Amino acid sequence: MSAPASAPRPGCSEHRRQSLVRLGLSPDRWDVLVALAGNPNVGKSTVFNALTGLRQHTGNWPGKTVVRAEGAFAHAGRRMKVVDLPGTYSLQAGSEDEEVARDFILFGRPDVTVVVVDATRLERNLNLVLQILEITDRVVVYLNLVDEARRHGIAIDAGKLEAELGVPVIPGVAREGAGIDDLLAVVTRIAEGEHRTSPYRVERHAPEVEDAIGALAPLVDEVFSSVPNSRWVSLRLLNADEAVVEAVRSGELGHLDGDGSTAMADAAPEDQRERVLARAQELRWELPVDFHDSIVERTYAAAEEVASRVQMRGLKKAGFDLDRKLDRLLTSRWLGFPLMLAILAAVFWITIEGANVPSGMLATLLIDTVHPWLADLGGGLGMPWWLTGFLFDGVYLATAWVVSVMLPPMAIFFPLFTLLEDFGYLPRVAFNLDSLFRRAGAHGKQALTMCMGFGCNAAGVVSTRVIDSPRERLIAIITNNFSLCNGRWPTQILIAAIFVGALAPAHLAGLVSSAAVVGIALLGIAFMFLASWGLSHTVLRGEATSFSLELPPYRPPRILQTLYTSVIDRTLIVLWRAVVFAVPAGAVIWLVSNIQIGDLSLAEHAVGWLDPLGILIGLNGVILLAYVVAIPANEIVIPTVLMLTVLTTGMAGGAGTGVMFELESVTATGDILRAGGWTLLTAVCLMLFSLLHNPCSTTIYTIYKETGSAKWTTVATMLPLAMGFVVCFLVTQVWRLMA
Amino acid sequence: MVNPALALAVFGVLVILTTLLLWPRWGLLPRLLRAARLDERIRLEDALKHVYTCERRRQPCSLESMAGRLGVSTSDAATLLARLSSLGLVRTTSRGTVLTEAGTESAVRIVRTHRMWERYLADRTGVPPGEWHDHAERMEHALSPDEVDALEKRLGHPRWDPHGDPIPTSSGEVPPARGISLVSAEVGRTVEIVHLEDEPQDIYDALLGEGMAPGVRLDVLEVDGPAVRVRAGGREWSLDPVSAQNVTVRHLPPGERARGLEDTLADTRPRETVEVVGISPACQGIQRRRLLDLGVVPGTRVTAELTSAAGDPVAYDIRGALIALRREQAAWIYVRPAPQSDRAVV
Repeated sequence: MSAPASAPRPGCSEHRRQSLVRLGLSPDRWDVLVALAGNPNVGKSTVFNALTGLRQHTGNWPGKTVVRAEGAFAHAGRRMKVVDLPGTYSLQAGSEDEEVARDFILFGRPDVTVVVVDATRLERNLNLVLQILEITDRVVVYLNLVDEARRHGIAIDAGKLEAELGVPVIPGVAREGAGIDDLLAVVTRIAEGEHRTSPYRVERHAPEVEDAIGALAPLVDEVFSSVPNSRWVSLRLLNADEAVVEAVRSGELGHLDGDGSTAMADAAPEDQRERVLARAQELRWELPVDFHDSIVERTYAAAEEVASRVQMRGLKKAGFDLDRKLDRLLTSRWLGFPLMLAILAAVFWITIEGANVPSGMLATLLIDTVHPWLADLGGGLGMPWWLTGFLFDGVYLATAWVVSVMLPPMAIFFPLFTLLEDFGYLPRVAFNLDSLFRRAGAHGKQALTMCMGFGCNAAGVVSTRVIDSPRERLIAIITNNFSLCNGRWPTQILIAAIFVGALAPAHLAGLVSSAAVVGIALLGIAFMFLASWGLSHTVLRGEATSFSLELPPYRPPRILQTLYTSVIDRTLIVLWRAVVFAVPAGAVIWLVSNIQIGDLSLAEHAVGWLDPLGILIGLNGVILLAYVVAIPANEIVIPTVLMLTVLTTGMAGGAGTGVMFELESVTATGDILRAGGWTLLTAVCLMLFSLLHNPCSTTIYTIYKETGSAKWTTVATMLPLAMGFVVCFLVTQVWRLMA
Repeated sequence: MVNPALALAVFGVLVILTTLLLWPRWGLLPRLLRAARLDERIRLEDALKHVYTCERRRQPCSLESMAGRLGVSTSDAATLLARLSSLGLVRTTSRGTVLTEAGTESAVRIVRTHRMWERYLADRTGVPPGEWHDHAERMEHALSPDEVDALEKRLGHPRWDPHGDPIPTSSGEVPPARGISLVSAEVGRTVEIVHLEDEPQDIYDALLGEGMAPGVRLDVLEVDGPAVRVRAGGREWSLDPVSAQNVTVRHLPPGERARGLEDTLADTRPRETVEVVGISPACQGIQRRRLLDLGVVPGTRVTAELTSAAGDPVAYDIRGALIALRREQAAWIYVRPAPQSDRAVV
């Protein structure tokens, strides 16, 4: 995590040399290294995209970029590399994000650090700017969102701010590209050393701190006569700043004054250097306990002072008032929840209705037309049966199934959700629902990651990045699987129609089976709360927690860009992962049904072994085997079940050994399943098990990527599976006891 | 098919057995693990730490006190002391048992590990304060000096543990103990809590429950009576002398008064604007840092802008940003009515 901190730091020239060596070999070579820092949700990623031309998704959310994003582009004949640091409120290294950001600015030695500042929240943003100015003087401030500030009645004098801070300030609107060219020009000038800055530094500290600085600074001056800012060095030493302590210890102090020169003409003798460190340690004990608080206070006082000089408030605040009015409506006691339910219901309705037609078309094209054509082609080319079977019946069919079931709803759901997100409504949903989630030990934003999970659990897990509190984020990741995802809805609907709908009179069948599916989804939410509560009170009890929820101003959504980014960013990435996992699944399904051991295929053997366990929990061996081979994608459970049922019962029908299929007619499907020994109990247990089992492999992989922990990935995988076994077992046994 | 009644019965038995085996603290497995941990080395280290604590507090170190502290019989305590003595870690003088130089070094190392771990728990985890000590008691025997150094770096070289005890440096430096016990404070003065003794656990928990924490400022009303009485803001506490003994304080210069602890941001009415006075010392670690970073520092004006549809959380206008805080967080922030001067029009 903090590898750069403990690794030996190359000196500046050393660093240059290494990058020069790399220039000839590596594709990610660069001439100018630019770090992009800023508070969460100030449009840092938008600036990153504007600079690099990449399309990283940028939501109206605090904390989109958790991992470092990197991009490169050429400007004025130079290769520029931009590193987008996680958004942080400060650089105290109190959280993982802050550690990453601070270590990069301190040890990554960027040529220029661009601090993106939100003009509507100048004071708080200046707090970070001032902290960065303490570390490096190669800084450019990009004053973003000046249009929004104007709308809120705030005008900022950029020239005055530049004079106050002593570093260039470029006003602009990143999402319109305004100010980006100026920014690039200044960045280049600073990187070339043509523009020298004289950064503002917080000078007045609390009396006790001033006393300690006063006692230490003369000693620093005495031992290191060439250091220009001994007060700053003293304060860093009192803060036990790793980099400065090391620089003193090694005698390389000249390094940190910012001009990059490594020559230390007067390397002080070692005992003198140690004397400085010992004195600093002695003084540290005398500093008050809340020493750190007082530094933040002073930084904020300075930020407030600077802000008050450059900012003109009290202009017309039309936009601001509109924001507040909308806020009061959307969070009102009586209308807040009904409005929320109506909006979310509309999103789901549009998704389900809208996806039907394209899904059907894709299925007709990929499965009913292309698949037979491929099979004929294989035959025509004289390919052996096992090769066509393996490639087309196994690999191709599984992939086609996943694409046709998964793509349309995701391509509708994610853009809709992203529009709500960009507008700024989703944080209000989190705000309204927080007290419900708080009781379960979770974060209000989990409401949104949960909704996202209804689209796709893998995307839901990725979306937990907006939760910046470690414990609550883990809870949201582990419990996301309780949201019934896209891949599982069709299973629920089909089984409910065959077995549950049949219980009711014909005219009510549709209603009853829909109610059953909605009931399962609601049960999933109930299990999500239960599991969140259990986790936060047991295994996750000791994880760190820091709740805060910023409600960003409303921003008009950009529809075309949203469509583009949400399709690229969420839909296609998730789909790609799903396809990658579906390919081997298709191969395995075909192989197990076609490889014979003795008289029976591998699949039949496996079904035989799994049958006793399956029957114990109200299912059967076929279903369990289908769930084992369908770990990659829940979409292919039903086709696999049908194929295996035909195979093991030896009945007529189906599309051939190892060829997954689905039938047009619900009744015909029901007939096959009933012939396989299915009862109402089997159907109920399958619906429960479909809700409560391990996440698909795409999601498992995503969980591992997001948590970086095998332990939490295992918990997230095994917890729902164990719950599934227990719930199905209890339902089955009680059912049989009653019967 | 398995008989359902039988299946359910077997399941019930399995659940009960698993619970008995794994239940935290009382389960068989946690008990066994705890027993296994109590090997000789750990007992020796605990004994050494006890002698060190006695020395720091200038109290005599008796066999009885050690037996009581370690939860062993006096004869076991005597065996432990004899063993420490043969290892050259302690020696017996006319003043009782004292540490040798090597003994002090080892003891300081253990104390350093213990306190560093408590700091870690307070800063980087959500382990509740009442459990810090127990965790640290285990970790002090498990971490190597190198691991402690690495942890120190990661935590930014903290100086104090969350109870207000100094963390010895890697070279073994410890500043002299500061402060006096609350029972010896001067009546009529204002004191600041610098340390809360975390043992015994129940007294510590009770003090925490009362809102005591390092950094809290109190006016001393009475110390000699049957109870020690202190006041902060409009609230008054009566502590029994035994509990008060566990609170270490320092006198504040005359003129500095106790902070009013009764008014918090949680009591703010909708649309009301208040000024921050400070953050409760009970709020530590990343939660405290987050509030500070958002700009909740003394003097900041905060307005309760929006109440969530469910009543909690409330969104506050803090330095131009709309930040939702839960009630329990808002209750950490001390406020007073904002002065009338309107800073908004500049």
